[in-house]
Formats: sequence, C-alpha cells, structure tokens
Amino acid sequence: MLNEERIILMTKMASYETHEGKKNMQIGKYFRSDYIAVQVLKSLVCATISYGIIFALFIFYDFEVFMQDIYNMDLITFARNVLLYYGITVVVYGVVSYGIYSYRYAKAKKNLKCYYQNLKKLNSLYNE
Amino acid sequence: MTVLLEFREKVKAIYSRYEAFILPIVKFLLAFVVLTTINRRMGYMTLLNGHIELVLIAALTCSFLPSGGIIFFAALFSLLHMYALSMEVALVGFCLYLLMFLLFFRFTPKDSLVVVLTPLLCAFRVPYVMPVAMGLLGTPVSAVSVGCGVVIYFLFQAVAGNATTIGTLGDEDATAKLRLVIDGMMNNRQMLVMVAAFAITVIVVYLIRRMSVDYAWTIAMIAGVMVDLVILLVGDLLYDTNMSVGWAILGVVLAVVCGKIIEFFRFCVDYSRTEKVQFEDDEYYYYVKAVPKMTVAAPTKTVKKINTQRQGSSSVGRGYEEDLLYDRPRSVVTERTNRNAGTSRTRADYVRNRTDRQSNRSVTANNRAEDLEDDYEELF
Repeated sequence: MLNEERIILMTKMASYETHEGKKNMQIGKYFRSDYIAVQVLKSLVCATISYGIIFALFIFYDFEVFMQDIYNMDLITFARNVLLYYGITVVVYGVVSYGIYSYRYAKAKKNLKCYYQNLKKLNSLYNE
Repeated sequence: MTVLLEFREKVKAIYSRYEAFILPIVKFLLAFVVLTTINRRMGYMTLLNGHIELVLIAALTCSFLPSGGIIFFAALFSLLHMYALSMEVALVGFCLYLLMFLLFFRFTPKDSLVVVLTPLLCAFRVPYVMPVAMGLLGTPVSAVSVGCGVVIYFLFQAVAGNATTIGTLGDEDATAKLRLVIDGMMNNRQMLVMVAAFAITVIVVYLIRRMSVDYAWTIAMIAGVMVDLVILLVGDLLYDTNMSVGWAILGVVLAVVCGKIIEFFRFCVDYSRTEKVQFEDDEYYYYVKAVPKMTVAAPTKTVKKINTQRQGSSSVGRGYEEDLLYDRPRSVVTERTNRNAGTSRTRADYVRNRTDRQSNRSVTANNRAEDLEDDYEELF
C-alpha cells in the first residue's frame, strides 16, 4: 500500500540529497574549526597568488622606470611596504573568508539537522 | 489573470516534462550568442572569426556541460582573440580572469552565468536588467558577480578601443601595450560608476524585496531602477561618463518589465487575501503574516478509451484486448479543470458528476455509451 506522506517526504529528501545536500554533507563531515581553517587556508593561498599577480602587473606596468629606480631606491623600505600591503590584503581577505565560511557552516549544519530529523520521521513512518 | 496563471502552469508543466531537452537547447543558444558576440566585437583571430563551425562545436559542447562550460569557452575565445592582437593584452586578460576566479568566484559559484550575461547585455546596451534580476533572485553577494561582469565588458571595450594603437606597436613596446589596456580600464570612470551603481542596485532590490510589506517585489524593482538611474546620472554629471540617457531610461523600463516577469514566475501572491494571525507558545509570541500564492491548475486533456462489451465476453479486460486486436478503440476527449480555482465547469465535468452520483462506476462521457450499456475502462 502506498503511503502518500512517506512518498512526499522521500521525494523531498531525495531532491535535497542530489542538490544542496551533497555539498552540505561534505561540510558536515568536518568539525567547525577544521572546516573554517581549511577554507581560510585556501583563501590565504588564493590571496597570495592574487597579490603576486597584481604585484607583477604593477612592476611590468612601468618596467623601464622601475629598472631605472631600482638602484636608487631603498630596497628594504620597498620590501617592507610590499610585505605590509601583502599582510593587509591577506588579513582582510582572510577575515572576509572566515565570516563567509562560518555562515556557510552554520547554514549547512542547520539544513543537515533538518534532514536528519526527516530521516527519523521517515523511519517512524516505516515502523507504524 | 486566470489565463496568465494557466499559461504559467502550462509553461511549468512543459518545462518539467521536457527539461532534459530544453536545458541543453537553452545552453546551446546562450553559448552560441555569447561566442558569436565575442567574435563580432573582437574578431582578431581569423581562425575563430571566419569559421562558424568552431563556434557551433563549442556551443554544442557547452550544451551538455555545466553552466561553467559557457564561461570557460567565452574566456578561451576572448583570450585567443586578445592573443591574436598581442600577447601582452592576452596576459592582462588572463591575469584579470585569474584574479576574478581566485578572489570572487570561490564564493559565488552559482552566479557564474551572471558573469557571462552581464557583458552580453552590456553589448546589447541593456545591462540594467541584470542588477534588478539578481536582486530579485540572488543574494547581496550577487553584486560581486554583476560587478565582475561589468569589468569584463570594459576589458573588451579597452581592448577594442586601443586595438589599432596596439596593432601599430612593435614587440619592443611590450610595456606600452600593457599600459594601454590597464589604463583603458583603470581610468575608465564609466566602469567605476556602473560597478558602483549595479552593486548598490542589487543590494537595494534584495533588501526591499525581503521586507514584509505588500507588493515588496514591485517596490523593490522600481526603487532599484530609480537608485540605479540616479547613481548613473550623478556619475555622469561628476565624471562626464557620456552616458546615453535615452538608452538608460529604455533599459530601466525593460528592467522593470523583466522584473515583473520574474515576479510572475517566482513570487505570484494575492495580497488581497493576506491573513495576519497572532499566537503564542511557551517560549515565543508569534505575529504571522500569511500571503496566499496565486495558483490555478492547468486544464489537462484526458483521453478515455471506451470499449464496447462483446456478447459472451464477461470480462472488461477481454473486450479491451479484442478492441486492441481489431484496432477498434473508441476515444473520447474530456477536459478537467480545477474547481477550486473558480474556473467554470465543463460539460464533461457535469456529466461525470451526474453519473458518479448515480452509481459508483467509472466515468461516462456521452449518451451513446450510456445507451449501449458499455463497460468503460479509464486508461489514463
């Protein structure tokens, strides 16, 4: 005998599993601190590569002038400034990433909790 | 309104039935339009520009790839055109794409199509649709995707605008070529004004449409286009961006029209039947506002095969098998409508109800069938 309530619940759960649920289950495997740490670490790597690209474009933009000035400029101050801007970029991007991934983790956990509740409900429907 | 709602239900039904075919076709068409537009506007590589079959192959490939495939091919085509013009220009384009990929698309992978659609609409001079649509359908993060799309469009503009100059420069002027493209983008006030206007529009539309006021979506899209227009006009006054006011007004009108279409399909509610209820439990007081959705069931054609009972045949199934054997099915088309939605009853409904009341047997459809005292079998 077909149970309409059970079928509706299973359809909803199957739809969730194939779309949003797949990603959320991946997130759910991690502890909060581990997930956020991994994502922020990835963000830091991305920020470092991006900073490198922007710095390279900055150098090549005025390459002749830069090569002329390189013998006259204070290289230590220049390097300090470069590192300072790098630090600011990475910190700002890291903080933004931390906020976004914290929010995503909380949202995924909430959705998974709802999903597991539905699983329990489904189980109880089978036991009726 | 009922006709429109029925039309919406029909569209939904058709889409859900033929989704497997409609989605690839839409992707194919979108990819084809995007790649053709890139070829037409840049077109420095004759291999790509002169061979439509390459575009068709790429578009066909995009049709069965995820939506990111369109972005990949669009980026590839544009980079190849830039490379044909100058390697330095291609380098700038590649760096820009890489920066966007590393910094922004990690957070908004779902909005990847926006990055393609925004430059496309910019090329057709109606980009104002995008921020309103994304404010209605997306999140505030969509502002980043729309902004990236605008930046890509102005990269193409900078390349196309300086193409003649870049073409005349030799290999020894590599940094000059680089400077031309970077300056063409960074000093473009129009780009900055558009990015700011679109980002603010996305956020304004999103914030207003989430409010619990009546007609929030309509208010959101109108407020959004007003904000958009005002920022663009102020930007034009301050930085002399040479904005075409006529196209801008036409664009925002089109944006509202598109917004209304999106609203019709995504958020069609009946505010006249809004209910406000208040209740409490152990922990909270609840002030709930419930707005019913406008729905109507699309009329469906139901085909019923009516099989005449043979003399000496006791079972309905046998009569049906004989009809199939001798190719003698009788079919009657009836129309079912949703009575709850207030649509009028059809004659078939009336007959069906009458016979249902008379007996518990299945549906009848015409007088001749009644006269012959046939057995009816509902097949669909």
